[in-house]
Amino acid sequence: MAGLLQGKVAIITGAGKGIGKAIAEAYAGEGATVVVSDIDEGLAKETASRIPGASAIACDVRSEEQVKSLVDQTVAQHGGLQIMVPNAGIGRPVPLLNMDYEEWRAVTSVNLDGVFLCIRYGAPAIIASGGGAIVNICSITAQAGTPLIGHYSAAKAGVMSLTQTACQELRGQGVRVNAVLPGFVETEMVTSVKGDFERMLGFPEGQFDQVIAMKQGRYGKAEEVARMAVFLASDRSSFSNGSPFVLDGGCRASLL
Amino acid sequence: MAELEGKRALVTGAAQGLGKAIATLFVERGAKVMISDIDEAGAKLAADELGESARAIRCDVTQEADHEAAVQATVDAFGGLDILVNNAGIEVVKPLFHHTEQEFDAIYNINVKGTWFGMRAAMAALPQPGGVIVNMASLAGLGGVPLFGAYSASKASVVQLTRCAATELKPMGIRINAVCPAFIATAMVDRLAPIVTEIVGVPFDDLAALKQGRVGTPQEVAEMVAFLASDESSWCTGGAYVLDGGLQAGML
Repeated sequence: MAGLLQGKVAIITGAGKGIGKAIAEAYAGEGATVVVSDIDEGLAKETASRIPGASAIACDVRSEEQVKSLVDQTVAQHGGLQIMVPNAGIGRPVPLLNMDYEEWRAVTSVNLDGVFLCIRYGAPAIIASGGGAIVNICSITAQAGTPLIGHYSAAKAGVMSLTQTACQELRGQGVRVNAVLPGFVETEMVTSVKGDFERMLGFPEGQFDQVIAMKQGRYGKAEEVARMAVFLASDRSSFSNGSPFVLDGGCRASLL
Repeated sequence: MAELEGKRALVTGAAQGLGKAIATLFVERGAKVMISDIDEAGAKLAADELGESARAIRCDVTQEADHEAAVQATVDAFGGLDILVNNAGIEVVKPLFHHTEQEFDAIYNINVKGTWFGMRAAMAALPQPGGVIVNMASLAGLGGVPLFGAYSASKASVVQLTRCAATELKPMGIRINAVCPAFIATAMVDRLAPIVTEIVGVPFDDLAALKQGRVGTPQEVAEMVAFLASDESSWCTGGAYVLDGGLQAGML
């Protein structure tokens, strides 16, 4: 039986590991030809080597030249582009008043500017290929203040806004643009900073996990985010455009 | 790849429109479906069309006993209940202060109380963990829609009921989500289009094209419901998922 993304060409940035890798695997499983992109070329190649039909292209999404080249190379190699997943993102906990400007810019340049560049250069290729979908990997931190990751949270709110504007501008040209907003997912990006959060918030050790259990039941899995990303890239979501798709085990549903 | 293989579902208001499209897709994906509707003949007709995998029962969603009977009938027919879709709903299209008290009450009784009764009755049979509820809300539940005052308020209530129930039932492993479509090509829209055209003074189709690109299809809504009903959405609960062709994303 044909997969949901049969015959589509997809670029996933930041796909060397974590959520991006899970999306690349899920897309390939649904029949897409996947381009695994990552700033770490070795990691991109390693991940791509384990995914049938996938290729690797190194890209620093902060670089306009590199993003443009990523799209050009993909189109040259595969004859078109139908799906773009700006997923690359970084984040580390720093209180606002300890955050130097360089730190702020380091995070926003990847998490927000990088998404802009992917849309800026990915959308024309999608339009030229007859239409498709952009699936921005955003975060529930776009919807509420998140202590210690003000830069990350603000950039993600920017991504949601960009999703809405891109949806409006591209709707007439057959490109749908939606955003996936996961809660805290069990990836290295999250687990590696649990201790930092606890220390800076004055929590006893282990309390971060307790907060997660209370708010979202458990950590999400990268594969679960990937299934949402499949849905939004596929024709099954053909009437959804410009919307936030939250998956967070119920975190945002309750004010308490 | 039948994502709903072996699942047993109860869909209210499923004799026609969105509910019928949901029931149809569910059967295509491998589920057994109890078609519940206040129109018993219509429910039977729809079930006959869908064949062996579907059954029908009359249910007035304003009556808790009817919900309980529908849940029991589903368990009797299919051996259990995994998925409830609270879809039955009505609309009134007129300026807010021209609604009659009867109209206002009917909207709240069917759209809000009916959803609450449905969730409550299903609790007797839904597996813990693993049970799933999908409530049909509306984009009108996330923003004010003139001429749909009571409907809009009722659908906002459905969204909040969904969030509260999802939070309270999280420990039991039951997931509950809401679907928020804009205008979809159903008999409901056929009824309201001329009314909107007359009051607003702009042809309904032009208004829909401007705001949401086009009118959505019942199949598109059914796809979203199927996604939320399946294990594909295993970490989604308490969410309100929009299908509106970009309406809500736009300022203009």
